[in-house]
Amino acid sequence: MLHAGAKKFVNPPRCALTTGPGANSRSIGGVGSAHCNSNTKKKTFARTLSRVEIHAKFVKMEIDEGAAAAGDGVLDFSRLSLNTFSPDSISGERKRDTRQLYLNYNRLTALPSSVCDFGNLEFLDISNNGLSAICEGVARLARLRTLIAKNNRLDEFSLPKEFGSLRLEVLNFSGNRFEEIPLQCMKLLRLHSLSLGGNRLKSIPAEIENLTSLELLYLGGNLISAIPPEVANLPYLSYLVLCDNRIQSVPPQLTRLHSLRSLSLHNNLLTYLPREILCLVHLQELSLRGNPLVVRFVKEMTYDPPSLLELAGRTVKSRNIPYSPCDMPSNLLRYLDLASKCPNPKCAGVYFDSCVRQIKFVDFCGKYRLPLMHYLCSPECTSPCSSNPQSDADSEDESSVPAYRLQRVLLG
Amino acid sequence: MEHTEVVKPETLDELIKALHDIFESDCINVEEVQDVMESYESKPQEWMQYAKFDQYRYTRNLVDEGNGKFNLMILCWGEGHGSSIHDHTNSHYTKSLGDMVQRSQRILQENKVAYINDSLGLHRVENVSHTECAVSLHLYSPPFQSCQTFDQRTGHRNSVKMTFWSKYGERTPFETISQENN
Repeated sequence: MLHAGAKKFVNPPRCALTTGPGANSRSIGGVGSAHCNSNTKKKTFARTLSRVEIHAKFVKMEIDEGAAAAGDGVLDFSRLSLNTFSPDSISGERKRDTRQLYLNYNRLTALPSSVCDFGNLEFLDISNNGLSAICEGVARLARLRTLIAKNNRLDEFSLPKEFGSLRLEVLNFSGNRFEEIPLQCMKLLRLHSLSLGGNRLKSIPAEIENLTSLELLYLGGNLISAIPPEVANLPYLSYLVLCDNRIQSVPPQLTRLHSLRSLSLHNNLLTYLPREILCLVHLQELSLRGNPLVVRFVKEMTYDPPSLLELAGRTVKSRNIPYSPCDMPSNLLRYLDLASKCPNPKCAGVYFDSCVRQIKFVDFCGKYRLPLMHYLCSPECTSPCSSNPQSDADSEDESSVPAYRLQRVLLG
Repeated sequence: MEHTEVVKPETLDELIKALHDIFESDCINVEEVQDVMESYESKPQEWMQYAKFDQYRYTRNLVDEGNGKFNLMILCWGEGHGSSIHDHTNSHYTKSLGDMVQRSQRILQENKVAYINDSLGLHRVENVSHTECAVSLHLYSPPFQSCQTFDQRTGHRNSVKMTFWSKYGERTPFETISQENN
């Protein structure tokens, strides 16, 4: 608890480490991280950060409130074992000047609504506390662009009613207890980075497509079983993380994500991928390890031998035997009309009901093999050059992807 | 003359100097390297200038090129970032400056040093956290420009070239042919 007039224990101001070009500013909390002030030369103290759970290795300096962080708008109350935060003891002028407020790594169970007195706040980090709700005051921070609230006890009922009216660009709720992405979040139209890793999400709402500015979507470490095709409607999505979930299939519509550079699908329940994944021309990172992807080239996964009816039908069609309505009962005529051409371009065959759902391995950059699903008329239907299964381990011309397309695939 | 005791390096610069001294000799004592690396207590303000993260993948940031005898680098792992399965045709010491998981199921505890070489086989390193980034310190001796990566399911092996995201604290975006990093 901070008391007016007393010496305040304030950590030196700092800036969050930023990532590569064009990336969002990230708060790198705790794990072997450090924060520095870009104006360190002006300051006479420094501190060491380390994981709070192991060692609380930081140096608290006693600073006069007026001298601390003069002029750079950063107020750092992190790692002070605070049980409550009382903005009332901070001068109005100081609150107006504050652009970044750090309250992470404390023991806060609630935030006071008077946090809205920080009228010009742009960055708020309340990670690693015991918060079970975001107070209504936060929703009134009209200038807030970044909210980091990792590792708290928040769920979809924790957000204030007007949360959706914030003009947030970066939102990080990872390490909480969300079972659904709250619909208020779907109203944050300026959002370009949304992180909900390590929660209990069971699904992704179709309304995700409303976040048309989204570039980063981190949903790793949840209980998601399916990806809605609406994810494909995010035109600027470049980093999609869905690892450590329960996803069984990838919708082919994802091929529309022309900006996608990195797709993380490791540790899911995928057995194959749609062929359309080859169309993601800007994809540079794809992780698929820890999925039950088909290990060996299997030619006859689910193949029921064709019926006599089917065999007869195939013969009629492939040999172009002419027939007319007076030649056979109408049900057989209808049957013959249903013939599907085998998708293998080198095969002239047809099939009716009995097709092979085949997993074909496609080489990416000559490094890895991905199993793609397609249908063939029969197990014998392969490209002419491969007459035995072993040679199918080599890439097939029509399906190999140029090396420049996919630079890195993490498999296994 | 053999070193019989390890002087605890107080700073990263002292660690680098101690490593240079050790690697002057033709015969390197693995435990000695492990000890000196382990005794360096991670001080983030000393290595922060090398800790450059990339949004999409982990980065390799060269700290010291060890007079050609070793490479010392810092790897930065975003949430969920991991490497491919790879081997080391030489010696590799790694020390977490934060929490990591080595696929061989050894969790690298902070400040502890793990050692692997060719005879110990293949490994993968990843940051399994969905909420935290991680930083690790790596020493490779001798330095190498390429290694082999492996597809776990098919055993297919591929030789890949290594690149650095930054060197000596400066971003180096124009490394020749950006290929597999690990």
